[in-house]
Amino acid sequence: MKRIEALRAIVETTADVPVIATCAATSRELAAVEDRDNHLYLLDAMGLAISVGTGIAQTIKDTAVSRAVVIEGDGSLLMNPGSAITASYLAPENLVIVLLDNGVYASTASIPTQAVSIDLGRFAESVDLKVLRAENTEELSLALKQTLTENGPWFIHTRTEPGNEPGTKLLLIDPVVHGSRFQTWLTAHLAEAS
Amino acid sequence: MTTTITQDRHAEVVDAIVGLAPDGVAYVPSASIAPIINGVLDAQANGDLPLVYPVSREEEAIGVVGAYPLAGKFGVIIMQDNGFGNALTALTTFAVSYHLPLLIVANTRGGLGEYNSMIHSISEPVPALLTSTNIPVFRIDRRNTAEDWGATVAEAGNHARMTFRPVVVLMEFFDPKDAKAKA
Repeated sequence: MKRIEALRAIVETTADVPVIATCAATSRELAAVEDRDNHLYLLDAMGLAISVGTGIAQTIKDTAVSRAVVIEGDGSLLMNPGSAITASYLAPENLVIVLLDNGVYASTASIPTQAVSIDLGRFAESVDLKVLRAENTEELSLALKQTLTENGPWFIHTRTEPGNEPGTKLLLIDPVVHGSRFQTWLTAHLAEAS
Repeated sequence: MTTTITQDRHAEVVDAIVGLAPDGVAYVPSASIAPIINGVLDAQANGDLPLVYPVSREEEAIGVVGAYPLAGKFGVIIMQDNGFGNALTALTTFAVSYHLPLLIVANTRGGLGEYNSMIHSISEPVPALLTSTNIPVFRIDRRNTAEDWGATVAEAGNHARMTFRPVVVLMEFFDPKDAKAKA
């Protein structure tokens, strides 16, 4: 499975929940699949996606906004593995982490990460996140549907092929404008829910 | 029972944080701010704060607490200043770039009374590092009364909210009038 195929599967099931995407090529490809108001692209905040998702999950707890979905990469998780430990410690039941693990820093010349030989699904299990594994788009869609209805915190470990989708445009957006768009979407949905 | 000026400063800072009514308080420990962390944990136990929790590194705190304003919320981070080396990329690429207000209260480790000769190397440049990245820094020390400490923390929280950015209060605990005051 290519990363962009995994992203298409995620987009199909996350129209009504906040989606926080890790930096660089993953955010660019997500925007290329569909650039929605519920997407928050962390354009250059390395290793921060799970932490930001944890914060969003805290703020939407007990509202009708049911989940915070994080799209993380193996390189980014390995840069900040403590974020997964904190997510487990805080145990937000509404947090879904989808790890797109291609074993390389795809945004930086596809240099190998430690995930080549480290099973990050087992790492997530070791810190007591609820782990599902998906090897193809069908399994990923099924896993997402389960995590969007059953309580977590979840960690979906998904292997993808190395490399980026050719021809994906750069995300040349002002982070203030982009963050405001996401905030407007999220606060409106929180207001509707209250 | 009488209290020391340092204990009074701790209590004022805790009261100021509670008064800001944050939606969450994340902390990374230091011995000198342990009374403040224990104070906010007590406030949580008493129902005066909704959520107080540890994180493993300072950039994690920026990620979690920095996300709050995206949902219309506000948070506080308690840490020590040598952690700004860890936090700086998260602060600049996320909180500063996306205009996300949050308050950081941090003790200093590079000033008077510091016993660790290595820690000066990161802690002394912290104000200049933060200023150079357009993060406001307010400093309180032995020359300020306990009430000054509390008022500064409270107003720094308001400043963060009004200016839509992270704001830092640096607390220097050295005080020759209080032998127990530690860096």
